[in-house]
Amino acid sequence: MVDQDNLKEVYERELKPKLQVLDALRKKVVRRQLLVLLCIVLLAGWFLSGTIETQPVFFWILFAVLVGGSIYFGVKAGSMWRDYRGKYKEEVVREIVRLIDPEWTYAPDQMISPHEYQQSDLFRRSYDRYRGDDLISGTLDKTDFRCSELHTEYRDVSYDKDGKRKERWVTIFRGLLFHADFNKHIKGQTYIEPDTAERLFGKWGQKFQMSSKGKLVKLEDRDFEKLFAVYATDQTEARYILTPAIMEALVNIRKQFGRKMHLSFIGARVFVALHFSKALFEPRMYSSCLRFEDVSFMHALFMMNAIIIKELNLNTRIWTKE
Amino acid sequence: METGTIVLLVVGGLVLLMVVGLYNNLIRKRNEVDFAFGGMDAQLKKRYDLIPNLVATVKEYATHEKELLTQVTELRAKAVSGNLSQDEQVAVDNQLSAGMRNLMVAVEAYPDLKASESFVNLQRNLTEVESQIAAARRTFNAVVTDYNNAIQVFPANLLAGMLGFTSRQLFSIPEEERQNVNVKQLFS
Repeated sequence: MVDQDNLKEVYERELKPKLQVLDALRKKVVRRQLLVLLCIVLLAGWFLSGTIETQPVFFWILFAVLVGGSIYFGVKAGSMWRDYRGKYKEEVVREIVRLIDPEWTYAPDQMISPHEYQQSDLFRRSYDRYRGDDLISGTLDKTDFRCSELHTEYRDVSYDKDGKRKERWVTIFRGLLFHADFNKHIKGQTYIEPDTAERLFGKWGQKFQMSSKGKLVKLEDRDFEKLFAVYATDQTEARYILTPAIMEALVNIRKQFGRKMHLSFIGARVFVALHFSKALFEPRMYSSCLRFEDVSFMHALFMMNAIIIKELNLNTRIWTKE
Repeated sequence: METGTIVLLVVGGLVLLMVVGLYNNLIRKRNEVDFAFGGMDAQLKKRYDLIPNLVATVKEYATHEKELLTQVTELRAKAVSGNLSQDEQVAVDNQLSAGMRNLMVAVEAYPDLKASESFVNLQRNLTEVESQIAAARRTFNAVVTDYNNAIQVFPANLLAGMLGFTSRQLFSIPEEERQNVNVKQLFS
């Protein structure tokens, strides 16, 4: 397993040469896009000048060339972009996954299924659009896991005072959804959510903490309580899952990633949703893709699978579940 | 009706509503405490059920641990006798926990026992029960804290005093139960 410490060396040796080739391809895509832009600017200038009717035939030929050119370069740029993106995922992203564990599977075009998403019961609002990619799955010691990027949205329709219909897409969840085999037998449902009320209003905030997911469970770990609110159908089971060591681990994970987190413990699985506001594992378009920070960031995201399994002690099988 | 009478009736009604609300809240919290104690008791019983099997298995291999086994058996008998007060019960359970831990350390010296399938199975069940007991104790402490807070704050303390609600004792959770990982080390 290549960790963050020796990633730089591997990057220089294995990934940089691949990224150099890809960056040349990226520049070609940008050049095509600039040509499209140039054609559009010339056409627009021509229209705006108001002299279009008085032009001789030669200019009409030029006009046709510009329209044809922008379509040609537009289509070309599109297919080259897909080629660039595909190669980036296959040659760079896949390689990063392999560096962590060659046994893990990476599928750039697949995602956590809607069934798995619903099973997590993390976001109950029904979605109208379900998108995702970069599915990674595998086993770490005794624990199997699956994780992918996901973006779910619902359509919000409103009418203004003139009765005009307005439509917008509202994000329900965007980020990484991970789930793994949990090492204890559980019967009920336990949910961990970001605690905004307690952070804003301190102890008084507990009065505002309510959820349809179950009863609020007050836990002993102060750092944990400041960051999370726990709801469960059985509060003793919630404590059976959230031992002091696990609470500490969750605080560490939250601090390490610095992202909003939702968790649920349902059936035989633990589900973790890590919120991000941008698309992940995508190549850069308008700046060089030759950046170690990008590789390091992707590596850190993939390592999340291993970190969660390790921190939550999921490989410790000392309870009745094997 | 005079205005003064109406005001008096309204105020009286409000006070009555408040008293009913406070009383119901106290009862709810006291029931939660009893329920949590019941939950803990159920887990402790599971442990009592495991002990005879464990003792029988260990006895077969660990012939030099007679004293320890007798101690655990006696403590179990005391715990299930049913004529102990809540505080005595807690004390016996704590002694039993300590006895079990000593036993688990002692079995380290018997590799045949550690390798036996029935012992491994018992060990797993015991770890499970110990984790459940720890969770149930934490639940009990959480609801007792909630209940104790409720009966000690004004104005509920006046009502609680009149109706004989008394504060309950918290369970002290042994250090080793606070650290999940230690359990693993002990049992590995």
